[in-house]
Amino acid sequence: MSNFFKKYLLLLAIGIIGFTQPIQSQDKTTVNGTIKDKLTGESIMGAVVKVDQLPSVVVTSNEYGFFAISLPKGKYDLKISYVGYEEKRVPITLNGSLTIPIFLENKNQLADVVVASKRKDENLIKAQMGTETLNMKSISKVPVIFGEKDVLKTIQLLPGVKSAGEGNSGFYVRGGAADQNLILLDEAPVYNASHLLGFFSTFNSDAIKDATLIKGNAPAQYGGRLSSVLDVKMKEGNNKNYTVNGGLGLISSRLSIEGPIQEDKSSFILSGRRTYADVFLKATDKFKNNILYFYDFNAKANYKIDDKNRIYFSGYFGNDELGLGSSFNIHWGNKTGTFRWNRVINNKLFLNTSFIYSDYSYNVGLKNGETNFNVNSNIKDVNFKQDYTFYLNPKNTIRYGFNSILHTITPSVFSGTVKNNINKVGRNGLENALYFNNNFKANQQLTFDYGVRLSAYSIMGGDVYNIYKGDAKTSSILLSKNEFGKSYLNIEPRITTNYRINDVSSFKVAYARNVQHLHLLSNATAASPSDQWIGDSYNIKPELADQTSIGYARNFKNNTYELGAELYYKVMQNQLDYKDGTNINTITDVESALLYGVGRAYGFEFLVKKKLGLFSGWISYTLSKTERKINGINEGNWYDAKQDRTHDVSIVTIFELNSKWTVSGVFVYNTGNAVTFPTGKYSFGGQTLYQYASRNANRMPDYHRLDVSVTYENKNKKKREGSWNFSLYNVYGRENAYSISFEDDPADKSKTQIKQTALFRWVPSITYNFKF
Amino acid sequence: MLHFIKPNYLYFTLFLFASCEKIITLPVKDNESKLVIEANITDKVGPYFVKLSKSISINESKAYPIINNGTVIIADNTGIKDTLKYISQGIYKTNLIKGVYGRTYFLEVNVDGKKYTAQSTMPNKVNLDSLRINLFPINGENQFSIIPVYKDPIELGNSYRFIQKINDTLDDNYNIFTDNLNNGKVNQRPLNNGNENISIKIFDVVSVEMQCISPSAQLYYFTLTQQGGAGPGGGTAPTNPPNNINGGALGLFSAHTTQTKVIQIPFY
Repeated sequence: MSNFFKKYLLLLAIGIIGFTQPIQSQDKTTVNGTIKDKLTGESIMGAVVKVDQLPSVVVTSNEYGFFAISLPKGKYDLKISYVGYEEKRVPITLNGSLTIPIFLENKNQLADVVVASKRKDENLIKAQMGTETLNMKSISKVPVIFGEKDVLKTIQLLPGVKSAGEGNSGFYVRGGAADQNLILLDEAPVYNASHLLGFFSTFNSDAIKDATLIKGNAPAQYGGRLSSVLDVKMKEGNNKNYTVNGGLGLISSRLSIEGPIQEDKSSFILSGRRTYADVFLKATDKFKNNILYFYDFNAKANYKIDDKNRIYFSGYFGNDELGLGSSFNIHWGNKTGTFRWNRVINNKLFLNTSFIYSDYSYNVGLKNGETNFNVNSNIKDVNFKQDYTFYLNPKNTIRYGFNSILHTITPSVFSGTVKNNINKVGRNGLENALYFNNNFKANQQLTFDYGVRLSAYSIMGGDVYNIYKGDAKTSSILLSKNEFGKSYLNIEPRITTNYRINDVSSFKVAYARNVQHLHLLSNATAASPSDQWIGDSYNIKPELADQTSIGYARNFKNNTYELGAELYYKVMQNQLDYKDGTNINTITDVESALLYGVGRAYGFEFLVKKKLGLFSGWISYTLSKTERKINGINEGNWYDAKQDRTHDVSIVTIFELNSKWTVSGVFVYNTGNAVTFPTGKYSFGGQTLYQYASRNANRMPDYHRLDVSVTYENKNKKKREGSWNFSLYNVYGRENAYSISFEDDPADKSKTQIKQTALFRWVPSITYNFKF
Repeated sequence: MLHFIKPNYLYFTLFLFASCEKIITLPVKDNESKLVIEANITDKVGPYFVKLSKSISINESKAYPIINNGTVIIADNTGIKDTLKYISQGIYKTNLIKGVYGRTYFLEVNVDGKKYTAQSTMPNKVNLDSLRINLFPINGENQFSIIPVYKDPIELGNSYRFIQKINDTLDDNYNIFTDNLNNGKVNQRPLNNGNENISIKIFDVVSVEMQCISPSAQLYYFTLTQQGGAGPGGGTAPTNPPNNINGGALGLFSAHTTQTKVIQIPFY
């Protein structure tokens, strides 16, 4: 506890330093504005604004492209830069406060950047750690399975991020579980980001502007998950011209339309996608009755009310359908909706108000002769948020605000010929957060980004809550609808410090506490749509994670090469698991079978990027360890978590042969997951049973794979652009283990054979993309 | 009830992507050979049997070692104490103990100076009224499964195990039912209709043994049903199923009821 107070005092001290900077004289004025793409009118987040005459002043635009700088009266030259765009110089004369719109022009040359940093040396100046932003243009040439560019697949090639495996879109960040990632689509949480058994993500790249991944050291405006934030933003739509984008692939196609509603004032984008693997299934005898497809749809519109007010509406819905004739079907889907109102309150204060709705549901239906039932699960969020950005002075940019989310979680409810014994009802929980964050540039070398988030979760009524001590139920609490039960209050301090050693290198240190109030229970080692969310309760306490990290960044050859190395150590508390032999879908009260424990994760991450030139790419390497210790599992001893992988390597290369042809390749290698193989066998009831020793003491075989893709772009015609993408997944056809099972050798029952199942060897794909 | 959803889900993944299987070798860890106790008491007239054997390492291919020098005692809560007699093949036989509903039985096994104990209470009998055939087509092909007809009592906490034999061949699927769903109702849930090695076809003779089992036996068998292969495509992390034996032995001591019915699949 005293440690905690020390950290807290430190924060407070820095806070005081931050605000006792030389008091600004009264004749200071403010210049603010919105930075946009000249061609499409899309606002640009993270553009860097510098003042020529005052080299220490650096401000970046927020999510909506807004920036503000307070300066004494006078003449200045603003320099605005963003990667992939021409730097713009804007001379201004400040007599009073000034608002200027700024339009940046796309560099009219080859896309020469793989992972876009907003500024060539941005990695050195920002007090942010473990953060990567990917824009769609930059990932379009990275090969992916089925030829469909996918932001969720591409982030898994970054250090510290591990893929959950083939057929699984989950990912693990710095030893955290798949449910410990906060995945946001235009601020709305997405509870299941996978389509088609995980081979696609829910993010249609045509509708996405960019995605930012923050590995545990997020600023205070983010909260609710332990390991990471993946903040995905949809395009706003071109407010100058109508454009149509699309792609035709072997198993899926997509189409999007964007354009102005009123030129320069409002715009929209509509984007849809559907797979048609089921069409092929129909052509086969064996699988003709099988159903297997997904579709999704993104829509967004924005309207500029006046210079100070702008509103946005964005929505997503998607559905997956899987079926076996009429006898068995699963469907699941997300719906999200976000309404936002940007308001420039005064020339230093920017407010964004959001109303957010998110809904995830899954349904399993089974019709087997007379048995006929449905199982339905659902999680629904209604969310209200106000977020202020206050440009206090050139040295301090403050974010503060609050967020209230009403969660409604309905666990597996049976209907049809199979019914729950007790009437299962949804549980409500109210999650509130209040936050404050300051980005403080102490001097040209030293930047602090610090803040605190106060989060509270209140158990709400509508259900009976049982309290367990060990195995025994000690009491029950019935909360009537809208009645509040226990509340958990947590303080989450966070700080990141960046020290710029010299022009080419910087050193960073960060600490953050994250708290998570929603927990995912999974019946299997792989993520499945039937996994169940549960909120805090009288037994389930909020999960806590404390992460400390240090890092070093250095650029070489005039920022052409970027090198980053980070070390992290994370301790997690109140981790959940459940007893052996528990069926979480049918058990009357899942809380009676839960087990609690702790986790720890530490590792070293290394990333070297070549950002510019015809040959670009990156090498990422992670050395890490992730362990868990749960009362009641593995005799209460530490064991490797399933996602513990000692080595994890990704190599991405992109080579632009000329203006038409691009060749790219991805190589990945990782240590196999930690799994439990039997050590012995015995006979029981006339069958061979297996004897197990320690949990997760074995390893799956190493995983490695090479993918190659070739893109041909035809930019000859003025208005119309077309490109062909040919890709081959798993070039050398490695049979990577999907599952391993032990069974009696049919030839000699006294022998045990080990059977490995691999999903596929080669997957070729062709996609045609067009734009006009 | 839902444990069959996961395999189905897996099935989709597998059929979609022309999966490939192969036999591999893997390094295995050392195994600690443990005593295996298989002890049953039923509501049928005795004698009842207890089998003692030992586990072997996964890469050994020999007969499981049997224990012929153990002492096995079964007592009940009415004061009857029965020392079992060794027959052969590691099997010990009771002399006088009787299986009665609601009675609790105490097992004590001594092997090489180590003592193992367990207890099990025989549940009340729920009658297996009949067997019915459940017919459903998949991709135009008729599939058959058997529905055991019984009425679950209104009290919560009943568990059942069904052992299915198809033309006298044991179907090695575990069919473990509870009343976590549909408590107090007549059962409509079919048994598993075999697997790739064995399935029910027209004219097959199917025998079904129904056992009313204790909660500890339910937990033991249900844990076994959950253990699929390892890896991202596998089931839950496997462990030795939790059992009711103190002293660190594998296996189970189960007092349960037993009742068998037979049905033949007619021509459709």
